[in-house]
Amino acid sequence: VMSLIFILMSTDSVIDTHRPESDPAFVRLRNPSTDSASLYMLGSDDLQLYEVKAFEEDFHSWFVGQTVQRDGRLLFVTPMDPLFLILPYLIKVGKEGKFQPVDQVVMDEEFPACSRLLSCTRSQASLHHIAEEKEVGSLKFHRYSQEKTMNWLKKKVERTVVALKKRNISVGEGVKSTTYVRVKSESDYHEEDYLRYAHGLISEYISEDLSKALLIHLGLPELTSPKETEPPSKKRKLSDKPVEAGEDYTKFNSADFARKPPKKMTAAQKSLAKVDKSGMKPMSSFFSPKVKAEKK
Amino acid sequence: MDLSPFEKDNSVSCRLASQIPDVCKIEDCCLGIDEAGRGPVLGPMVYGICFCPVSKKEQLKDLKVADSKTLTEAERENLFQKLDEARNYVGWALQILSPNIISTSMLQRTKYNLNALSHDTAIGLVQYALDSGVQLKEVYVDTVGPAEKYEEKLSQRFPGIEVTVRPKADSLFPIVSAASICAKVARDRAVKGWNFSEDLGEVDTDYGSGYPNDPKTKAWLLKYLDPVFGYSQFVRFSWSTAQTLMDSKAVTVHWDDDEEDGEKAAQRKNNRSMLSYFGASAGGNDQNPTHQTHRFFTERRLKSLDTL
Repeated sequence: VMSLIFILMSTDSVIDTHRPESDPAFVRLRNPSTDSASLYMLGSDDLQLYEVKAFEEDFHSWFVGQTVQRDGRLLFVTPMDPLFLILPYLIKVGKEGKFQPVDQVVMDEEFPACSRLLSCTRSQASLHHIAEEKEVGSLKFHRYSQEKTMNWLKKKVERTVVALKKRNISVGEGVKSTTYVRVKSESDYHEEDYLRYAHGLISEYISEDLSKALLIHLGLPELTSPKETEPPSKKRKLSDKPVEAGEDYTKFNSADFARKPPKKMTAAQKSLAKVDKSGMKPMSSFFSPKVKAEKK
Repeated sequence: MDLSPFEKDNSVSCRLASQIPDVCKIEDCCLGIDEAGRGPVLGPMVYGICFCPVSKKEQLKDLKVADSKTLTEAERENLFQKLDEARNYVGWALQILSPNIISTSMLQRTKYNLNALSHDTAIGLVQYALDSGVQLKEVYVDTVGPAEKYEEKLSQRFPGIEVTVRPKADSLFPIVSAASICAKVARDRAVKGWNFSEDLGEVDTDYGSGYPNDPKTKAWLLKYLDPVFGYSQFVRFSWSTAQTLMDSKAVTVHWDDDEEDGEKAAQRKNNRSMLSYFGASAGGNDQNPTHQTHRFFTERRLKSLDTL
């Protein structure tokens, strides 16, 4: 018999003992980021949505009472804004440009449980964050709005930044992943580091297209090389080739390269320095690395 | 010899000692070191020192203390009694290393082998004698490992003391024989009256000599093998006898410092830590191959599930 070990994080109780009309239940819903199934939980009467994340690492097991559980998995059930899961359905239908009743929009043959998202307390009340609303009599109609959605997501990013700072989450690159040892002190981080990190976190809950649009909306220039945000790849070590220095400075020790830079820039150099270099390759990129040369 | 301090908690290392005879604080003394219970898979290993003034060496000989291995248990008890009666000039101290300490030392992440453990225990006991004011001039030791190296190690550690390390020292020097008797008596008593800290019900105490080649010991080890926990703390887990039985009869347990070979090891060492959490190949539910989970989650080893 498998035990499941949970940490339930919620402000309101998952199980409403006063009105236990329906028990909390795990449901499979479409993950907006991966477009495939992920596990979520709906609280009593579908009032609150929770996401389920598993802590999984090698070489862990549990002792539960008088039994042993092979996997050392720890499940976190944390409250989640249902709007993230409703959003993809609105976007899909929104391409037709029509106002529609949401219960006709949030439908999925593969994940029929998705209609239950509309029962969540926050769903109906917060649809205006991502859609335009029209009321005809007692009926409400909605149409996806990219502009509203971007503003909504921007707020989410900003709130995430606040949370990251409050929690002292290390957002810099110089972090050792296993121990979270901070290499830089907090004051060394720039606002942009926080924004990028928060954007990355929010992107776990939206599609790739939205993530890209949000980056532009936040005024964050796309990084020219993904290497700048990722820690250096360990794959290099797997190469069969002997390890060599990445740059060979001895090559430039000849007289041609020993020239010192002029102390004062000429007028031409100054004007060159002012040129917007974004998108331009640095000089160094024209020196082809050795690996490429060997392939020829 | 009162073993109750050890019996109170037999999972740790415990020191028992006699009163220091006053004469040992004034006169030049000799000291012998020996151990009991090095080979058994069951029970503690006991290190003993015995010391007396150099001038009383002959008197010690008259007690006819001999190599403990040539004596019966009753004879050893009898000789220990005699040593106890000579307490006005003979002192002793013991370090009982519980099987649990032996197991955890030898099996810890940075391996601490039995020889190193033995050397350090011997050094600790000599230091104890010095700290207690015993005027040590000569130390005699039965060797553990190569005698020369051990002698050099001890001489360097205790400058000013003449250290003699010899194989079979327990039959050559009476003071070593005396130490061996103290150690062996303590070991016998500790094994006989072992308090099992685990709830094993009515424990069958007929476990033989405790040596791996004793059929009784082997039968006992088979009988008391738990598929999850292995053995009682009475058993030295680091002994190959115990390990072989657990490998074949108990549930397999993987530790992160296990040595693995072949592809599995390469996979773990190279990319299990981070890379395996990206992409679908690692058994995750991310069916979108381009999707890379944010490092907030990968660093915390958190991932989405698609099923329980």
